[in-house]
Amino acid sequence: MHVPCGHCGRRPFTEFSFGGEWREIDAPDAESDFVRVYLPENPEGPQRERWFHAMGCRTWTTVLRDTRTNQIERDTRTNEIG
Amino acid sequence: MGSLEFEGRGVPFKSGDTVASALYRDGLRTFSRSLKYHRRRGLYCGTGDCPNCLMTVDGLPAMRTCTTRCDEGMRVERAGGWPNADLDLLHVTDSLHRVMPVGFYYKTFIKPRFAWSVAERVIRRATGLGRLPPTTAAAREIVRHEHVDVVVIGAGIAGLEAARDAAAGGSVLVCDEGRIGHAVAPGPTLDRLQALEAEVRALDAVTVLETHTALGVYEGLHVPLAGDGDLVHVHPSRVIVATGATEAHAVFPGNDLPGVMLGRAAAALAGVHGVRPGRRAVVAVRTEEGLQHLQTVLDSGVEVIATAVSGAMADRLPDAGLGEVVVDGEVHEARGGSSLRSVVLRRDGRAKRFDCDLLVLSLGLSPRDGLARMALPGEAVTVVGDAAAEPPAEACGHDGIVCLCEDVSTHDLEQAWDEGFRNSEILKRYTTTTMGPCQGAMCGRALSCFAVSRGDVGHRADAPQAPRTTARPPTRPVTLESLAAGVHEIVDKRTSLHELHVAAGAKLDRSGGWLRPFNYGDWREEYLAVRERVSLMDVGTLGKFTLGGADADASELIDRLFPCRVADLAPGRTRYVLSLDEAGYVMDDGLLVRVGEHEWYLTSTSGGAGRTDARLRNFIDRFDLDVHVLDRTAQWGAINVAGPYSRDLLERLTDDPIDAEAMPFPGFTDATVAGVACRVIRTGFVGELAFELHHPRSRGPELWQALVEAGREWHLVPHGLDALELLRLEKGHVYLGQDTMPDDTPAKLDMSWAVDMSKPWFVGKMALERMATLGLARRHVGLELTGGPADTAELRGEPLLVGGDVVGRVTSAEHSIALGRAIGLGWIRSVDDGFPEELVTGSGAVATVVPTPFYDPGGGRMRG
Repeated sequence: MHVPCGHCGRRPFTEFSFGGEWREIDAPDAESDFVRVYLPENPEGPQRERWFHAMGCRTWTTVLRDTRTNQIERDTRTNEIG
Repeated sequence: MGSLEFEGRGVPFKSGDTVASALYRDGLRTFSRSLKYHRRRGLYCGTGDCPNCLMTVDGLPAMRTCTTRCDEGMRVERAGGWPNADLDLLHVTDSLHRVMPVGFYYKTFIKPRFAWSVAERVIRRATGLGRLPPTTAAAREIVRHEHVDVVVIGAGIAGLEAARDAAAGGSVLVCDEGRIGHAVAPGPTLDRLQALEAEVRALDAVTVLETHTALGVYEGLHVPLAGDGDLVHVHPSRVIVATGATEAHAVFPGNDLPGVMLGRAAAALAGVHGVRPGRRAVVAVRTEEGLQHLQTVLDSGVEVIATAVSGAMADRLPDAGLGEVVVDGEVHEARGGSSLRSVVLRRDGRAKRFDCDLLVLSLGLSPRDGLARMALPGEAVTVVGDAAAEPPAEACGHDGIVCLCEDVSTHDLEQAWDEGFRNSEILKRYTTTTMGPCQGAMCGRALSCFAVSRGDVGHRADAPQAPRTTARPPTRPVTLESLAAGVHEIVDKRTSLHELHVAAGAKLDRSGGWLRPFNYGDWREEYLAVRERVSLMDVGTLGKFTLGGADADASELIDRLFPCRVADLAPGRTRYVLSLDEAGYVMDDGLLVRVGEHEWYLTSTSGGAGRTDARLRNFIDRFDLDVHVLDRTAQWGAINVAGPYSRDLLERLTDDPIDAEAMPFPGFTDATVAGVACRVIRTGFVGELAFELHHPRSRGPELWQALVEAGREWHLVPHGLDALELLRLEKGHVYLGQDTMPDDTPAKLDMSWAVDMSKPWFVGKMALERMATLGLARRHVGLELTGGPADTAELRGEPLLVGGDVVGRVTSAEHSIALGRAIGLGWIRSVDDGFPEELVTGSGAVATVVPTPFYDPGGGRMRG
């Protein structure tokens, strides 16, 4: 599997650490914060997630990975650098 | 020519011999004993697919001797059987079929309870494929990676053709588990193979890799190839599976007798190794290649007394020497004791018996498609040649051994079916058919065939083929060395002061990924140096980060990332910080230094440096702030100068002001010490006046030596982690990870002082607010320990009890030198809405909850 790093392009996933399912960084109230932290969507299909190029350029990338096929693409909807 | 040692005697071999061919020439017929019933098994497939010839070679168990080349002095022995495989008294289990039915370990020896523990010991000794050598030094396997456009697995005719064709489009790696053509008897097939090999080897774009076995097709694509002493990770864009086919395993009574052999095994013995496979043979031919095998066997001088042949092949048989030809005849039964004595052929309901010692079977091809079936849908994996062939519709056979590896007969399958296991996948799991070393190469189709003929519930009537069970890596037996290849010894990081520690006689050990001094001989003396005089500690292992950026972005990041107050921290001052995750749990701690208005310097624990770096960068990205992080962990060293005379020592080596007024606790300054530019930080971890000198790594040794030299006046000795354990414990400071748990909040650690809940927002704040409403169920406390063992440290890890109930645990315990009594840290749960004050440890010591710090609670010494 190759992860599309925003800085280095597609690189073997062994160079990365997995940063978990993408989630908002804030929530309007305690209830939705609980959901945000503890109840990931865990979809069967495309999942938005974070990867850290730990053994490379050390930037973070948001991707869409299909959990059934591991087809993986950069997610360009977010405004993050990587 | 040479000689190998087989079970204590010499066996000669010729050049090109496999272990199996040499043993066969020498007269060996019983190659192994079967796993469960200890039935005799002889050479069968000759292609490394079946389990029959597995032996222990040079101490390595379960080696396929039919594909293992002979070496001078090689030691070979059979694994199964007691006292040996020839005279195996355990064969009695074959007649105990009734008490050891399929799945017997699920339903016999259940009562009384001790029965299984007794039976298991006996069964474990009676079964198995050999013993792993317990003392052999681990072989070092080299790992390398190959990036190619196409990998072709299998260098037979189809594989070599595919490699030749693919070479026009890019780089090609073609691999084979053996050597090209080595197991093929002379004839048109070998001629064709050798011509193709020459053609392919002449192509620049093609790399040929022999004796490398593909273990699986992993997503990616990724194909690991295990060789002898190396493991090659191939990363191709496309995989072509050309693994060919095995000859079909047929099921009939006596089908596993020594003397029953697939065509390729007989042809390899006769044509490649010059060994006559038998004296009198019955041959069954239904395939094209079977005709070649028949000719090879005839040429070796075997007397063929009967030939069963399919109608389509009948007119293509050799002219003479075939004995009685039975067109459309089938093998009905094989009979014999320790080896084959006769074969019954049947046609149109009429049976005839032929006395013989060899039965050669070429009844069809069974594709080796395990690798192909591992590929995910949509992956660029294609199958060519026999591996892609449609297997012939075959009769399911009757009353024979289906699975050679695990000793499963048709009778066993029928019994399992009757018990309700009515699907090939669960039949597989219950009977272990296809789960042995051959991974279904022999029995996979027979299992599917059986399940479908009975009405497999998972089989759709309109599906063209019987459903196969799931294929998973590895397809071939693999050594532990191959699995461990590339997993090197732990690499310990070393500080720039490493050589000085070694020279000073330090006892070094692993801590947080680093090799660190635990003591320099006498940790109590080191402890006293800190408390009463002056001492040094190498703390270059701490995580060290510089943060800066556009405008106030770095300050904004720090404020949002850490739970402490940040706004009121003036440049030149430091503050202790906790790192919380989004669930409000404490991940790490460190010191935050405000270098300038918007320039920050941050330390983390030694083990937490990598996580801290990832976390900083994650939130910079998520907050979309313009902040730069410099990870200085490896670039800078740090020395902690601690003790009542530490300032006096430093003043000898610097002209910069470091007095209490110029640099109060907790402050920092840049100063030149012994000619080395340092960032000097007042710290309090050990509870004495202390200065951390952060400096360029390359200048570390000279700085350390200057400090040691100047410290002679105060009898300076450096201290290691052993002394630090007590120094920090006396101050009640926790070691994250040792004293804490993964779900500790600041409140549980009694560290709410490090959190400013009045800040509008920080990572984890909302979680802390939510948990504050739940009440505190567990908290971390200081303990005074009485009545414990002479060595207080033994109490570490003991449970804490109240009235016989475990309510907590001791996480640190030492005899305090400063206080003259035993102290510790631990966590306790609330009992009846309150936290107990008096507890008992598991070994009976009394633990009393006391406030911390134990030593210098006012902190006057540290602030000095």
